[in-house]
This record gives sequence, C-alpha cells and structure tokens, in this order.
Amino acid sequence: MTRNVAIVGGGQTSWGDRDASWKDLAQEGGKATFDAVPDIGPEDIEGLFVGAVQPERFAFQSHVAPMVAELLGIDVTKMIARTELACASGQAALRYAWLAIAAGQLDVALVLGVEKMNLGKEQMPEMQASMSNVLDREFDGVNGLSAPPFFAWYAQRHMHEYGTTREQLSQVAAKNKSNAAKTDFAQFQREIEPEDVTESPEIAPPLHLYDCSGITDGASGVIVMSEEKAREVTDTPAWITGSGQSSMAGNSINNLPSYDGWPQAREASQEAYDQAGIEDPLKEIDVAEVHDCFSISEIIEYEELGWVERGEGGQFIEDGRSHLDGDIAVNPRGGLLGCGHPLGATGVSQALEITNQFQGTVSSDRQVEDATTGLIHNLSGSASVHSVMTLGRDPQ
Amino acid sequence: MTEQPDSTDSTDQSGSNDANGSVPRTTVSIPSEIELPDLLDFYERQTAEHTQIHEFYENLDEGRLTTTRCLECGETHYPPRIVCPECMSDDLEYVDLPHEGELFAFSESRGGTPLGYHDTSPFVVAIVDLGEVKLSARIDDARYDDLEIGDPVSLKIVDIDDGTERERVFYRFEPRGEEQ
Ligand SMILES: CC(C)(COP(=O)(O)OP(=O)(O)OC[C@H]1O[C@@H](n2cnc3c(N)ncnc32)[C@H](O)[C@@H]1OP(=O)(O)O)[C@@H](O)C(=O)NCCC(=O)NCCS
Ligand SMILES: [Zn+2]
Repeated sequence: MTRNVAIVGGGQTSWGDRDASWKDLAQEGGKATFDAVPDIGPEDIEGLFVGAVQPERFAFQSHVAPMVAELLGIDVTKMIARTELACASGQAALRYAWLAIAAGQLDVALVLGVEKMNLGKEQMPEMQASMSNVLDREFDGVNGLSAPPFFAWYAQRHMHEYGTTREQLSQVAAKNKSNAAKTDFAQFQREIEPEDVTESPEIAPPLHLYDCSGITDGASGVIVMSEEKAREVTDTPAWITGSGQSSMAGNSINNLPSYDGWPQAREASQEAYDQAGIEDPLKEIDVAEVHDCFSISEIIEYEELGWVERGEGGQFIEDGRSHLDGDIAVNPRGGLLGCGHPLGATGVSQALEITNQFQGTVSSDRQVEDATTGLIHNLSGSASVHSVMTLGRDPQ
Repeated sequence: MTEQPDSTDSTDQSGSNDANGSVPRTTVSIPSEIELPDLLDFYERQTAEHTQIHEFYENLDEGRLTTTRCLECGETHYPPRIVCPECMSDDLEYVDLPHEGELFAFSESRGGTPLGYHDTSPFVVAIVDLGEVKLSARIDDARYDDLEIGDPVSLKIVDIDDGTERERVFYRFEPRGEEQ
C-alpha cells in the first residue's frame, strides 16, 4: 500500500434494546464519534462509509449512506457508500475507507456502523427470518435454519471431531459476558459463571442462551485518516497494518469447505499477517476482538487465526490463555456475547476497542497492559467469508 | 407536508397548537394485516415463468430429488444451477440424488425461530449427507435428544399449502423406519 492509514478515535451509542429508531442511532453514534475526536467535525469528512446489514428489513429504509450524510451534516466530496457483508459489514466499511485513503483518494473518512434490530417481541420472528436469509434462502433458509442451529452444528462437529467439551464452550461465554460487565455501552453487563451457561434455556442444542450473542440496537463510528492528517490530531492512533479477506466459493451448506473449521479465517488472517509483518501471531498479538457470535465460534477462531493447532481451541480457553491476563486478551470489550451484536456496527466497535486499548482510554479494569499489536476478526453469513484486520501502535 | 405513517406504537399526538382547534385533522387507514407476500415467503416461486431450475421442482413433485450435473466437466452441483460454477458451461443435465442419507450434524430450533416456522418450533434441522452432496433439511418426526450423528434418514416430500391455488413442493427428511 502506498500510504499509511490510521484510526484516530471514535465513539458509540449505548447498545441494547433501545427506545430509538435507526435514524436516532445514526445520529447518536455520529455525535459520539465527533465528540470523541474534537479536532474533526462533519466539515472535515471527505469520505463516508456506512456499515448496515438490513435497514431495508429492519427500518424499511434503503440508500442509507446519504441519509447518514444528511443527518450528520456531512457534505461528502470524495466517496460515499454503504457496505453490506452481513455480520462483517462494519469491518468491510472500515476496509474500504482504509483502501480509499491508502490509495490517495481522500484523507479523512467517517466509518459508521448502524443497526436497529429490536422491533418488539411480535416482530422478532420476522426479524429472525430476514437474518436467516444470509444463507441461500431457497435451499437453506427455507428449512427454518437460523444462526443458532447453524453454529450448533459446528459445536457438535467440533466436539465430535476434537473432543471439545460443553464446559469449554461455557468458559468462553463466561469470560466474554463477564468482560462486558466492564464495558459501559454493552448490552449484557452481568458477570456470569460457566455453570450459568448450561442453566440458561437451550436455544439450539448444544447451545444455550448464554452461548449466543444478542439482538441489539446500536451504532459505532471511527474517524480514519491518512498519516499526514492523523498526526495533526493525535500521537496515538491505531495504524491499520494489514487487512485480509477470504471466501471459498461456498455460501450454501453443500459448498462450505469445512463443518468444524473455517479455512477462510486461516487464509484471511495469513493475508493480514503477511501485510503487517506478523510472523508469530500468538507471541506478537496482544489484544484481539474476534467474532464470538456464538461461544463455539471463538474456539474455532483461536485455531484458524493460527494461534493453536486445529482441535486445540478448547484447551486454549480452558487454560485461560485468552483471558485479559492471558497470551492474547481476546474480547476484552466483552465480544458479541457480552456487548451484543448490532450487525453493521460490530466490526467498527471492535476496531474502536483496539484503538482505545492503544490509547489507554478504556475502563482500567479491562485495559490490556502495553498493548501494541491488535487484531479484529469477523465472519459473515454461513461463516463463508472471513475478514481480518491487524492494527498497530506503530505504522510498522 | 407529506403524511408520515408512524411505525411506532406512540399514540400521543402532542402538539403546541392543540387549543387552537383550527388545524384540520383526519384519520387515514393503513392495512393492519397483509397476506404473506412473496417477498417474505421462504419458498421459491417454482414454475417455469419464475425460475430456470423449475425442472428440479417438477422432479421433486414427482417424488424425485435431483440436481444438475455439468455435461462439460462432470461436476455435480447442489443446489441445482443453470451455469456450472466450475467451468461456466451451461450444458447441464438433471441427475438423481439418493433418497437415503445420514445425519452429519443436527440441532433443534427452540428459540429465535424465523417467521413462518416459529409456531412449529421446536423442530430438528440438520445437515444430511447424501454421499455426493450434503444439504440442510428439516428432520420430521424426531427430537434432538433421540438422535445421533450417523443416524439414517430418508426423503419425504412436503406439499406447501399457502392458502392459494398455487401448488408448490419441498423436501424434508425423517428417521428411517426400521432403525427407530
Ligand atoms: C438467542 C436468542 C434467540 C434469544 O432471543 P429470545 O429467545 O427472543 O430472548 P428474549 O429477547 O425473549 O430474552 C429473554 C431474556 O434473555 C435475555 N437475553 C436475550 N438474549 C440474550 C443473550 N444473547 N445473552 C444473554 N441474555 C440474553 C434477555 O435480556 C431477557 O432477559 P430478561 O428476561 O431478564 O429480560 C437471540 O438473542 C438471538 O437470536 N441471538 C443470536 C443473534 C444472531 O443470530 N446474530 C447473528 C449471528 S451470526
Ligand atoms: Zn462444468
């Protein structure tokens, strides 16, 4: 890449079942972002990238990027787009901002992820129906296949192939939900014990309620800038050092490359590591925000992100190696399990967490000491696509 | 000013001019219920005027689970295609898939179940291994706790009753009789 690109800061709404519309969330998230970066205002933004998955279904509104521009008073002069890549839409938006700036097309971008998902109990089945169409609606969604049973299959296969235990799934959920108790915007701020997980209702066995991320309203934003401009604003931005994606020509069930792993995550992370010059990710990465949409996901991610061998992910959590004081602090924010998962906002919030970890501005009880290298990871849809970005306290 | 239908449950029409009484006011109605529109229907429009894989559905209607195979490169696809993703040939034929397979993975939808299915929850949804292909399917007449990986299942056809004249079909599986 030709130019270094940095995230200088950002902000977010509180997340949860909010008494707020899609437009309210976009405004709150935009304000929080500009408030957090006082040197930058709407008048400075040249590029606007909005991560949003299903505003057409959840808010009956499309063409949402210009809507955000209007709501936040941004005259976009260079580039405007909304990205949809299911659960990775926020990271995809960030990736395009990075590319546009690295390529010299613009210097200052706002990346805002917004999702409104809680429409009331009565609308929940319709909302779930919209979400289950991220697979092939005609052949997969039609079977009533929503995310929980899909990821339950991966839990079942991982247990079957590698002997991963129910207890290890619970340990992931307890870690992340308990981390979220230290995060003021999180949806679920109650500490839980591993035993609580299997006592919560079964949603899609072997997965219980506490193995699942939530249905969440929220918005998160970050300001992304070229090196020259970023240095005018802060001495401690988060530099985007690498960004990789992989899909393997498979989205519907028959065409997925694996049912107990995600080789796409391996490829995407390898791509990002190569760009960032990371040779030993387990040693070099200090803090990671990975896509724990369900507890099993995080266990598979330890493996596919190249930190341990396939099949050893369960042991990694059991040994506490992903805790705040472990080898890699994984999901200090609380992850999707604890913070909730407003689809389009998640990737942006993960990147903001890493940025704030570098800047030392997160709540002190979840601050990872001397963090200099971070990673964010999202999977999307039938986990058919994986997106990985590495961030550094130094541009490299 | 255009009228903005209010999608929230707010009922309070607070306004500063209430006392004035001179502002005209009227009620406009919107439908409180609509029939399940095709855009919210999981089942495909299956006939020749809607889809070029109508042969798949016609075969299914006759009790045969089929898919496409590429006459150029020999690749078997699932779901059926009109262009081979391996070689871009559009010279494809329909071939039969086995009607018996094994449970490769399964769960039971108990919460977060999509519209159109939530009133039949809980139900088992599985990956069925048919050898050449693996597909997702509902497993009828089964409970999660009674099943194991590798259990044999066999095909069943379901007729879709959507309250219209339209005749549509789909497939499910069920545990194979003698093994139960
Ligand atoms: C798991 C799930 C089905 C639960 O939804 P639900 O059954 O409608 O649950 P409700 O909203 O009725 O909530 C019931 C209770 O559980 C709590 N709860 C809901 N989801 C929760 C979660 N993920 N974790 C912890 N608690 C949760 C609620 O706060 C509520 O608590 P209360 O009774 O104290 O108020 C839903 O959260 C879900 O679908 N999650 C997955 C989202 C998803 O698929 N995202 C895409 C991932 S790829
Ligand atoms: Zn071919």
